[in-house]
Amino acid sequence: MLSYFANPQRFDQLARIAIPVFGAATLILLGAGIYMSFFASPPDYQQGDTVRIMYVHVPAAYMASALYAALAGASFVYFVWRHAIADAAAAVIAPIGAVFTALALATGSIWGKPMWGTWWEWDARMTSVLVLFLVYLGYMALRSALEDAQQAARASAILAMAGVINLVIVKFSVEWWSSLHQPAAVFRADGPTIHSSQLWPLGLMALGYTMLAGWLVFYRLRTRAIARRADALMRQKESGGRK
Amino acid sequence: MGVLTAIFAREARLAWAGGGGAAGPAAFFLAAITLAPLAIGPAADLLAAAGPGILAFAALLSVLQSAERLFGDDFSDGTLDLYLLTPTSLAALCLAKVMGQASATLWPLPLIGVLGGLMYGLPPISALVLGAALLAAIPALALIAGFAGALAAGIKRGGLLIALIATPMMVPVLIFAAGAGRSAFAGDERAVANLLLTLAISLGTVALAPFGIAAAVRGRLG
Repeated sequence: MLSYFANPQRFDQLARIAIPVFGAATLILLGAGIYMSFFASPPDYQQGDTVRIMYVHVPAAYMASALYAALAGASFVYFVWRHAIADAAAAVIAPIGAVFTALALATGSIWGKPMWGTWWEWDARMTSVLVLFLVYLGYMALRSALEDAQQAARASAILAMAGVINLVIVKFSVEWWSSLHQPAAVFRADGPTIHSSQLWPLGLMALGYTMLAGWLVFYRLRTRAIARRADALMRQKESGGRK
Repeated sequence: MGVLTAIFAREARLAWAGGGGAAGPAAFFLAAITLAPLAIGPAADLLAAAGPGILAFAALLSVLQSAERLFGDDFSDGTLDLYLLTPTSLAALCLAKVMGQASATLWPLPLIGVLGGLMYGLPPISALVLGAALLAAIPALALIAGFAGALAAGIKRGGLLIALIATPMMVPVLIFAAGAGRSAFAGDERAVANLLLTLAISLGTVALAPFGIAAAVRGRLG
């Protein structure tokens, strides 16, 4: 299956189908999810209407880590099998993941102000998401700094894989760190279990975000392939049409 | 074994000959811990509480100073290509290389750390615990800086890029090393646990990072 899609033309055919499918799924799911989260779901008995921030925040945080997993997975496939599409996927996933991470941080901060009374709290989870954001930035910086395409692909694949080990240890150590000092603001425990009237919009939004990420990834992969082909044609033309 | 000791000695000699050896990181460390109280203010209790954190953080930055030089020059003059041709494992060569430079340049950091701890008003025992934590942290810090340096070898003005890659990876070491000093100052029983965790991270890095550095060198040489 992996080698089947190594052929650029076959991949292009797949992308031609995948882009509209993901696009339609995104519009339907996000549309329904947004309607349910902002209009059709009741306000929380404790948090009031601010609970609606959860519907945009939690899926963004989930995408931030899911896309890093995808980035590391694609890097692994490239590193082991030298699969060109896997490298392109890694290159394309990184900025999308970084944007979702920034979105998770921003919406979390906006949610934190009414809930905890502070824009930012150095608690374990927020701090590790911030570190994840730095990891994305480092990945993109390394990738863009290396001019040779193959060197960029290999070095960034190694960095993405090392990042997995790192993020696991960071998560563990940051939890240890935040237990070292008592948090200043008292965290209000969320409701006992999430009610089904909140679970539905949340699930729809999470699926909608996933489809959106898939849509963006396939769209950018195809654009990247087309840009590459255009570059190659230009170079061929400049060298006098010699084959 | 001869190859590894030769590389270790070469890096140590290069660090002394070209870059002033331990003087660079030591002077940087000293400058950083001199400036921090000027920024925070001279309140003694505040300085003592913040001291372990500032010292560990400043030590981390000092380690990053020499990261660019370790692989940068050897990447451009072809030394790394010769390493690839050596029958000895590349991971072992990289470990010897990083440790050679680290042992020549970073040994004053724990000593200055103890001195700085006393200057910040930590009790002598806490300052010694912090110094021990810095000593335990140095292998991990040096290897992570080496990993980032190998990935970014030969990139013009790669220093910033190396810092951006290395800092997220240094988060655990920083937490445990600074945590050891903070717990010791607070009279917390977790000081020893923090110290042991720092050592554990360092040992884990010694076991894993050489393979990462070797993969990075191979990836960059193509």
